[in-house]
Amino acid sequence: MSRLTRPVILLAAAVLAAGACGSAATQSPTSPVTSASGAPATATAAATAAATAAGPATPEASIDTTPVTLTVWDYYGKDTTPFTPDAIAAFQKEYPWITVDRQDLDWDTFIQKFNTAVASGQSPDVATLDMTWIPTLASNDVLADIKTLSGGAMNGKPIADQYAAGPLEAMTYGDKYVTAMSDFDAYVLYYRADLLEKAGIAVPKTWDDLRAAAKAIAKDANGDGKLDKYRYAVRPNTFHFSQFLFQNGGSLLTPDNTKAAFNGPEGVSALEFNQSLVADGSGLYWSDASGDLPPALADERVAMFSDGPYYMGLLKSGVPDQAGKWRVAIAPYSKQPGSYLGGTGLSIPASSAHQAAAWKFVEYFLRPEQQTLVYTVAGAMPATTAALQGPDLTKPDPYFGGQIPSVEFLETLKTSTHFPYVSAWSDIDTAIGENLDAALVGKVTAQKALDDAAAAADAALAK
Amino acid sequence: MARTIAKRFRAGVPGYVLVAPAVLVTVVFLVIPMIQTGYWSLTVYNGVKPPQFVGLQNYIDLLTDPRFLRIIQNTVFFVVMGMAIGPVLGLASAVLLNQSVRLRALFRTTFFLPTMVSLVAVATVWKMLYQDQGMINQVLATFGLSGTDWLNDPTTALPAVVVTSIWQGFGFETVVFLAALQSIPREFYDAARVDGAGAWAQFRHVTLPGLRYTIVFVYVVGIIGSFQVFDQVFVMTQGRPGISTRTMVYELVEQFQNLRLGTASAIAYILLIILAVMSYIQIRLGEGD
Repeated sequence: MSRLTRPVILLAAAVLAAGACGSAATQSPTSPVTSASGAPATATAAATAAATAAGPATPEASIDTTPVTLTVWDYYGKDTTPFTPDAIAAFQKEYPWITVDRQDLDWDTFIQKFNTAVASGQSPDVATLDMTWIPTLASNDVLADIKTLSGGAMNGKPIADQYAAGPLEAMTYGDKYVTAMSDFDAYVLYYRADLLEKAGIAVPKTWDDLRAAAKAIAKDANGDGKLDKYRYAVRPNTFHFSQFLFQNGGSLLTPDNTKAAFNGPEGVSALEFNQSLVADGSGLYWSDASGDLPPALADERVAMFSDGPYYMGLLKSGVPDQAGKWRVAIAPYSKQPGSYLGGTGLSIPASSAHQAAAWKFVEYFLRPEQQTLVYTVAGAMPATTAALQGPDLTKPDPYFGGQIPSVEFLETLKTSTHFPYVSAWSDIDTAIGENLDAALVGKVTAQKALDDAAAAADAALAK
Repeated sequence: MARTIAKRFRAGVPGYVLVAPAVLVTVVFLVIPMIQTGYWSLTVYNGVKPPQFVGLQNYIDLLTDPRFLRIIQNTVFFVVMGMAIGPVLGLASAVLLNQSVRLRALFRTTFFLPTMVSLVAVATVWKMLYQDQGMINQVLATFGLSGTDWLNDPTTALPAVVVTSIWQGFGFETVVFLAALQSIPREFYDAARVDGAGAWAQFRHVTLPGLRYTIVFVYVVGIIGSFQVFDQVFVMTQGRPGISTRTMVYELVEQFQNLRLGTASAIAYILLIILAVMSYIQIRLGEGD
């Protein structure tokens, strides 16, 4: 009997298993931020603030005020969620007919649980969703159209005026808004300023600079003839590869999203650049199997890496003794700056029975004062342009030697691109990642690795 | 006739009432899900839109996909290596512990301890040991040997996961074999010795036959468990590098994560069929005499 039951139990277990997360963005806080529609963010912020200052919402005649309980699935974490108890209490005070049941879920297992809930018709009313999950969910009609629910407006202003072009595009699937971005993820260069200064090296701006800087600061600490300290972390995943690809003028897919394009000359030379860093020892191949990066930062195996805003928090908590030594900069590029664009979206499942109330919740937590909590509490970069102008995001950070890190992230956001919204994206992502491994450990050439990945991607796209 | 049937039914009512809960639970939580999963395996289904019947297409797609065949190959490698080494180690340690050795209880507990530790915790610790600058490579370096980045090298990653699994699991086999060894009457060994049998002859002609059903049990349970390997892979490698450590259940979970319930169900049934065939063969071998 048990032999027969195991696979079924496994399938059930699979339903209960897995997860994800991420975030990234643009615009200098020292200069006016332009929203996607072209309206100055300062004007948007003022209008939003005015709308907010109007005080507790007076139920409009058309709003159904029948008491409802909203189930909110949140992967930000109990102690790092922007949906703080105080903020939820304030929301419930403003919308007294809505009770919020916020539930903590682990990012790693979130998507399996969410899929299970969707498949069983028991989905939450609001969910924090990693932007990399959106293609699969949107292409399966899992998410409600926020444009319809909101009438295209958020807190009294057009949604299009409240985001920069990149985030707005990332929220769009077809002619719908399938999520409302809460925080963004775009990759900058994190580097040990003390080591660069000691070596007399300027902050790298190009790939050649990066190679030179990596070689200049890397050391052979144990004297075995191999570089083992202060290296650049080379990561074999689509997030990092696409950064180099975009910087080299390449793209992941053809413009009509029907064929892989990442195996073109731009992709091949981008991967060859990463291979060369690993080959000469100045780059440290760092996969998921290598574990989390912070231990390698703590023992100084890694002194430079590319990643998103959430690493600011990881640095502060993981290596507090290195305060003042780290800085961030626009990631070095070959032809043009570029990064993948991800983050967290607040989505409303299409099967939610309380979509109107759910939108009220989403709308409330995208107000500037609530979005600030994304930075101050969650340690991520808020996605709305008004929030990015807030004082908390524009003050010097002592951990980064008095630098204002958000400046670099906002600048990066301007040139960030989200992953293609095709239903086969998960297969393409997997194919790229799996083949990067072989290339970066020197088993195959960059061209062969990317051609193999492209063949798998094309097959997935053809289905 | 009808009266007889009614009488027999009435006599059996208490029995039916007693087994009813178990039958109900089995039907609701096993039979119906199995039928449902079997149906889904014949459909394209994402859990949201209604399933679209596609016949055996999911099975054909999977079994003609070189990538999935490589995943089956990985899984079989894991099973073969694990089952070739784990039970043998378990039996060897059980035979040693069955001798009059000092601190036997301590050794027995020590061997069994890893089995009681969460596999996720074990995998996490071994993942650290396998790091490029982890303890294993440091130990090798003291002997002048150079290690490798075990989990990032496509040729060593899967064997490394197998070693972790064997270390975690062979204590269970040790305890099972030890219990079975202690149930073999001493008189058999005495008689063998009288007949001039040495240690190896005693092991071959007394111990092994005495353990036959235990060996079948260990292999049936072990093979079923090994085919379902997931936790170690999830924690240690995420199926990487490349697809060198990707296993069937890992693929099943990922297909589910991508809302491909039809494909995930087909993988579950392929696994079910493999396990059913393997178990049948093992049980028949165990019965042979």
